[in-house]
Amino acid sequence: MKRLSAATLMLAALLGAPAQAAAPVAKIQAMLAKPEQLCGRFEQNKQLAGMKKPLASSGRFCVVAGKGVLWRTLKPFPNTLRLSRDEIVQLQGERVAMRMEASREPTVRMINGVLFSLLSGDLGQLESLFDVDGTAADGAWKVTLKARNPALAKAIGTLTLDGGAYVRTIHMVEDSGDRTDIVFSDIKAGPGAVLPEEAAQL
Amino acid sequence: MTTHRRLALAWALVVCLLAGHNAWLWLGKRIVPDTDILALLPAGERDPVLQRSFTHMVDSAQQRVVVLVGAASWPDAMRAADAFQAVLRPHADLLRADAGADAQAAWLDGFQSHATLLVGAADERALRTQPPSYWTENALARAYSAFGGPKLGSFRDDPFGLFAGWTQERAGETPVRPRDGRLYVGGEGREYVLLTYTLAPSAFALSAQRRAVPLLDAAAAAARRAMPAAEVIEAGVVLHAAAAGNQASSEVETIGLGSLAGIVVLTWLTFRSVRPIGLILLAIGIGFLGALSVCWLLFGRIHLLTLVFGASLIGVAQDYGLYFLCHRLGAARETGSVVLLRRLLPGLGLTLLAAVIGYMGLALTPFPGLRHMAVFSALGLVFAWLTVVCWFPQLIGPGTLRRGWLARRYRALVVRWPRVTARPGALAVLALLAAVTAAGWSQLRTDDDIRSLQSSPARLVQDQIKLGRLLDAPTPVQYYLVRGASDDEVLQREEALKRRLDPLVAQGHLSGYQALSNWVPSARTQAERLALLDGRLLGDTGPLADLARALGADDGWAAATRAHLRARAQPLTPDAFLRTPASEPWRHLWLGDVDGIHASIVALRGMRYASIPVLAGAADGLPGVQWVDKVGGISAVLGRYRTYMGAVVLGAYALVFLALLPRYRGRTWRVLAPTAAASALTLAILGLAGQHLQLFHVLALMLLLGVGVDYGIFMQEDPQRGDDAPWLAVALSAASTLLSFGLLALSGTPALRAFGLTMLLGTALVWLAAPCFTVTRKERHATSVYA
Repeated sequence: MKRLSAATLMLAALLGAPAQAAAPVAKIQAMLAKPEQLCGRFEQNKQLAGMKKPLASSGRFCVVAGKGVLWRTLKPFPNTLRLSRDEIVQLQGERVAMRMEASREPTVRMINGVLFSLLSGDLGQLESLFDVDGTAADGAWKVTLKARNPALAKAIGTLTLDGGAYVRTIHMVEDSGDRTDIVFSDIKAGPGAVLPEEAAQL
Repeated sequence: MTTHRRLALAWALVVCLLAGHNAWLWLGKRIVPDTDILALLPAGERDPVLQRSFTHMVDSAQQRVVVLVGAASWPDAMRAADAFQAVLRPHADLLRADAGADAQAAWLDGFQSHATLLVGAADERALRTQPPSYWTENALARAYSAFGGPKLGSFRDDPFGLFAGWTQERAGETPVRPRDGRLYVGGEGREYVLLTYTLAPSAFALSAQRRAVPLLDAAAAAARRAMPAAEVIEAGVVLHAAAAGNQASSEVETIGLGSLAGIVVLTWLTFRSVRPIGLILLAIGIGFLGALSVCWLLFGRIHLLTLVFGASLIGVAQDYGLYFLCHRLGAARETGSVVLLRRLLPGLGLTLLAAVIGYMGLALTPFPGLRHMAVFSALGLVFAWLTVVCWFPQLIGPGTLRRGWLARRYRALVVRWPRVTARPGALAVLALLAAVTAAGWSQLRTDDDIRSLQSSPARLVQDQIKLGRLLDAPTPVQYYLVRGASDDEVLQREEALKRRLDPLVAQGHLSGYQALSNWVPSARTQAERLALLDGRLLGDTGPLADLARALGADDGWAAATRAHLRARAQPLTPDAFLRTPASEPWRHLWLGDVDGIHASIVALRGMRYASIPVLAGAADGLPGVQWVDKVGGISAVLGRYRTYMGAVVLGAYALVFLALLPRYRGRTWRVLAPTAAASALTLAILGLAGQHLQLFHVLALMLLLGVGVDYGIFMQEDPQRGDDAPWLAVALSAASTLLSFGLLALSGTPALRAFGLTMLLGTALVWLAAPCFTVTRKERHATSVYA
């Protein structure tokens, strides 16, 4: 099952031209810690179109410069998404549910880059893709990202991020009606942040 | 005298009409000769559907220029590509940049109401084999996943990720990806920007080549200035056409000017005047114009190959003029030109008759191309001959020409020339030559492969190969043609073919295929798929119901989702698909309705040449599926033309023999023997030299017959070996044939080289052999007794 597939392909693929950095971006960049290694917990709530009950899940995530992103859903069931320079792998428990290799699918590296930027709050990189509108004051910031490319905007909708030294929440509203809220907590940076089992997976 | 003058005036009127008609054709109607070599196939074998498929595959590619600008890193590649584009941007009237990444933005929009029916091959297999839990688990993971989610729409649009899998499978048909608003392809350690341009004027227009090629060179240079390590790979028909044109024009300059200079010097040395050249060119020119006019009136079209072969008429048409001029030179002052002509008319008439008979043999073949050539050539000769007969006596009086240095020295040679007799020495030489001929013939091989005629520079060919590899582009000349009574039957037959091709992909014979049925399954497949989805996923107790429970969804969610998915399962037709922007890169695959037959193309990516027999065999037994190999097809046409032409040459010898028999009786073999011997020996030398025999060698042998018979007749018409007029006419004609056609042996174009080499050897040998078969008046009386 290749289920990341075209959705994320388009996310990474349809990149717009880089624009001038808006004023808050520079401010926010200055606030962000941008450590080499970053891990923490996430609580996620999804509201799917056509379904009244929200879907709650939680787990851990890691962002390691030069290696990639690890997104470990622990509840309600284990599911791991690993993005590295050369591949994207999804593990359902122990089973490899999906593997996409950069050698076969050239957009893998781009997807990795975008997700890395998103989780580490690297707005400088995201600006090539999104119109960034936001405010920053007193060590806190909030931005709204709207894809420059209309097709991409339609596919992923609007992203809202807020945070301080790290990204604190991500709020995604898709045009299709699905909504996702992610709240990060317990964020640790530096050498001790990555758990041994996570280091093994990265 | 006055009769002839009236004749000359009448002919002038005809020539004016011809000139007017030609001016109207070329300048008014702007006719263009056919270039498709398959148009030379017999009409019955020409298949409109096949023709349409060639048009779809080749013609669209003909005007395109594809460029890859690469560097070790993507930003460097972009910088180099920007420099490249900047050079071409002001010249959009010539090379227009094609819409790039933006055109692909909305490509999925057209599929929304059919998405449920679109399932990739791997998922379809999984649907048949995997247990329900597999689908439930996958859908659950999709529901909870933050980033792997269904960005093509909402979760309920594609809970099992089947449509997403299908879009990825489609994206896999090309390695090209949009990136930063450009088209990107990677490979061999480099990142490339893909740029495509459409050439506005025809790729074969000289003016377009002269502008486009330097512009592309300048753009490539700019890219390398911006990024010294940048690699620029270019491909396009215009580049090959320009390379061929450059070669041709430089050859025209060297070979053409060389031969013209040679002929001028030769004529001056013989006649102390260049006027004869002007007159002979006039005769040839009128022959050419006349042939073209009448051919156009008869057939309404003209093929380039007909013109090329027709141009070779010069070799034969000049003989009539030279024959007259040489006799004028030798004749007494008191003999008037009209009287002289009357004396020469039997010989002249026979040379024309022999040549026309020879060429008419071509008209008996079933090939329209050869028939056109036959009519064109015969008409050309008739017009040139009439020009000589009607005008030359009026234009050349008894005192016009004076014997030049060459004419004086050359006459002495003929007396001492060896002759074929029954003496032991002569027989020994003949036996030796026969042995050489036999040895050479045993070495002779044939090769009709069109690729051996290709003469594009190695760099262009390498670029083309590398570009094809990086882009994983399908070959435009080998593919499957699928036909059916309806659109849907075509799709069904494509699907049957694809089931055969899948194992071949797995075995590495090809890397994949492009087909419209990849996008639009046949109605039967769509119905089967919907039934499969209903049975395996959407049933009341299937994975969808399990998913609703696992998600804790409210009552009715499963039923609503099922209804939603079924609403997105409307039948998709080729017509509907072809109206969507997503179909743009694939439209050429669909031929649609051609005279009541529906047809499509299945194109092959990453095809190995060695696998052609395997791929050709894959179509066996599949109704409506035809393997098309245009390269092989052209080679086969060339091969059949070669065989037919060979038979025609032999038949022409027989016919010419019969035509000459009434006049020459027992000496008839002496007319034909020099040409026959020279042709046989030429073939033997080609064999010994390791040349592979192909159509253009045989075309040259046909021309050689036309030229050689003239020499034979000239030598037999004037039996006195002391009379140097025929001997001089043969020498001049042969020398100018050698200078005009023989020098083509130096050409870089393989077809012309083959033609030229055969003419070079053949004409030289006929020239040497012709006097060997003459007889003295005494001998002539003796043979007459036998005859």
